[in-house]
Amino acid sequence: MKNLTLLSILLVGIFGFMTSCSSSDACHECHIAYMLADNTEIEVPITNSEGGDEFCGTELEDVETEGYTHTIDQTIIDNDTIPAGDYPVHCEDHGDHDH
Amino acid sequence: MLRHTIFLAFLISNVFCIAQNNGFVVDSKNNPIENVDVFLVDQNIILKTDSDGKFYTDNNLPNNTYINFFKNGYNSKLVKYKNQENFVVVLNELHVALDEVGVVESYSELGNSRLTSIEKKSLDQVFTLENSMVESITQISGVDIISSGLGIQKVVVRGLSGMRVVTFLNGMQINNQQWANDHGIGFTDLGLGEVELIKGSSALKYGSEAIGGLLYFKDAPFISSKKVKGYFATKFNSSSYLSSNQFGLKWNKQNFYFNLYGQYTLSSDYRLPDNTYLFNSRFNQRAIKFSIAHRYKKFQNIFRYQYHYENPGIPGHAHVINPAEIDILDITSSSVDLSDDYKSSVPYQLVNNNLFTFQSNYLANNLKLSLHAGYFINNLKEHEKWTRPDFDISIKHAQFTPNIRFNIDKFTFNIGSQISSLDNVNNQTDRLVPDASSFNVGPYFIVDFDNDNFGFNYGLRFDYKSLKSNDETFNINYDNQFYNTSFSAGLFYKHLDNLVRLTYSGAYRAPHFSELFSDGVHHGTNRYEIGNINLDIEQANQIDLKYQWADEHFGIVINPFFQDISNFISITPSDSFQNNYRVYNYIQYESVNMRGVEFNLHYHPHQLHNLHLEQSYSFLQTNNKDDDFGLALVPANSIKTKILYDFSEYEKISKYKLSYFSLYHTYKFKQENFAQYEELTNSYNVVNLSLGFQFNQKLKCRLGINNILNEKYSPHTSRIRGVAGGVPNPGRFFSLDLKYEF
Repeated sequence: MKNLTLLSILLVGIFGFMTSCSSSDACHECHIAYMLADNTEIEVPITNSEGGDEFCGTELEDVETEGYTHTIDQTIIDNDTIPAGDYPVHCEDHGDHDH
Repeated sequence: MLRHTIFLAFLISNVFCIAQNNGFVVDSKNNPIENVDVFLVDQNIILKTDSDGKFYTDNNLPNNTYINFFKNGYNSKLVKYKNQENFVVVLNELHVALDEVGVVESYSELGNSRLTSIEKKSLDQVFTLENSMVESITQISGVDIISSGLGIQKVVVRGLSGMRVVTFLNGMQINNQQWANDHGIGFTDLGLGEVELIKGSSALKYGSEAIGGLLYFKDAPFISSKKVKGYFATKFNSSSYLSSNQFGLKWNKQNFYFNLYGQYTLSSDYRLPDNTYLFNSRFNQRAIKFSIAHRYKKFQNIFRYQYHYENPGIPGHAHVINPAEIDILDITSSSVDLSDDYKSSVPYQLVNNNLFTFQSNYLANNLKLSLHAGYFINNLKEHEKWTRPDFDISIKHAQFTPNIRFNIDKFTFNIGSQISSLDNVNNQTDRLVPDASSFNVGPYFIVDFDNDNFGFNYGLRFDYKSLKSNDETFNINYDNQFYNTSFSAGLFYKHLDNLVRLTYSGAYRAPHFSELFSDGVHHGTNRYEIGNINLDIEQANQIDLKYQWADEHFGIVINPFFQDISNFISITPSDSFQNNYRVYNYIQYESVNMRGVEFNLHYHPHQLHNLHLEQSYSFLQTNNKDDDFGLALVPANSIKTKILYDFSEYEKISKYKLSYFSLYHTYKFKQENFAQYEELTNSYNVVNLSLGFQFNQKLKCRLGINNILNEKYSPHTSRIRGVAGGVPNPGRFFSLDLKYEF
């Protein structure tokens, strides 16, 4: 009986363990990765259709579609100038040194 | 009433005696030894001797069944069971009680360990003794690791890795897209008892493709006990705020044996020596496994299932053409936010592995018939985007291995075949490798002759492999067959305390579909990889000499080897770019050879028997006759030293529950021999320290300080050695492991 109880507790635990899901946020910031001539990367943040920082749901799916490009005007970040044009979009995080 | 009870007890004990046989374990003075582990090897069941040194086996245990006897402080013994009235085994007390110096007698799944050079590593306590299973295996000389933190780790044997190092888990070959360095080993130490390793191409029975070596992982044995036994274990480290928890349960009722295990691990990004964190080196894992065995007379059936899920991040990711030029500030964080940094972040992998194995054995006096059937499903998704994977591949691998083992006098024969079928299926249009399938049949014959001081073995294997790929996305219609013969021959001679073993072996490896057909961006390696449909069979020949000598205090092993590999398949960078990634092409070198020597020293000073000193030296030199550059991912030469002091005999110290102190030092020499896209790696020292505590018979604890010198180093075989000038391994960190056994 004791063994059976132990086994039952374990099976319930295992079920919970197997079905537990890892949460990942549905909205993410996206950027253009612009390569400078010296092979360094400049992140150019882009905004969603409502001017917000994060892309969610179908809008996120759209910007991650193969071949999708985002149009920007000439942008200056620090001392670097990113020319106007159509660029592919990346929505992954990088290690922000000042997290 | 009392008389009736005594009579009944007498009757039951007689029935018991009829149904069971006894064996005795005694010391050299004929005193019984209690609590000896009696491991019925062929049955995979472990028993214990009682206070009279007695153990019970049933009548169905056939003669010549291997039994391994083990107890701390005594020499281990491997004997063949004889069904007789007084089956007595004598274990001699060791002069150095802490452990055995020299050749330890034990059974090996991979063959007769006197005839074949087989290395072993116990994994029983690895969860609470080491940072990871793969790291613990690298303590074996000649073994290294490809890794990026604890999330992605895989084994390198004598400079070879990937497809050339074949991994078996409970008899099933693990095919999990192991061709890429960012695809880890695919399981954890959960429920494992031991790993056996053959270095080089001598692992005939388990496949000719193991040119670099073969790792055979085995589950911990079943127990013969009506009482449920088990454990809970937990570990934590301050580098990545890792939290890992395991449980295990073992149970036996009548002829049924049952093992159940579970694990959950969560880790954030690891801390570098400069106190920044390597972004996206985080991972999480879940695993569950169970095994059921049933014995009936001379039959035994074992069914095992295990599920393994992992979600490792891929660190060091950037969009630059040359990853070496990345600024390390772009891929690190100054701190971790525990509410956010356990969550997965792209790019990452999602791995789901399901493994089913069934083993059926029939045992007679001089005969063992076995059939092993296994089915392994591996699904790998690699995400650089949140909303869809960049590739999503499933491997379905079925394997059947019938084997007959029989003994005639001092000869042991093994005849069998390995039959396997593998399907690689893409679950979406975007892909790096095409849909492909292979079918392999490998009949083999192995004969061992083992006299007391002399023995030899010879094995022959013929392999047929058919490889097909019909993939419209890649516009491929490929159908090819590969044939080859592999062999292994070895002999040993023992004179007093000297043992010499010589092995000569030849093996081959057919090209893998990733090497033949790859065409796409591989985000895990920051490359655009292009296969080569003209690749042919890779062939290897190896000579391995091993000399061992040991007395009561000192043991030495010298192991030189030479391996020649023709048509060596490699991947090299080109000058062109696709999708902003450098193109890497698969090519074939005409001839590559690898030579080296491994030394092992094992010493217990006579004045300090509780002090254990172990040192290994691994020297490896590779030579590529077709290229001025060396081979990729060849580990630097190394010296590994382990010092352990056991306090259990010191009352003044053990009253503080301190049971041992250990120090592990690794010195890696400079690696000046490197591939075209690699660079020189400097020498470094890493020192780890551990303190073991035993609070009572059930509760153990380990406190570890790792990389105590806070050395900034990036091993030559690190996955991220080529990123940002070499991303360092973790800096100094603490770890705390607890295990409660009941």
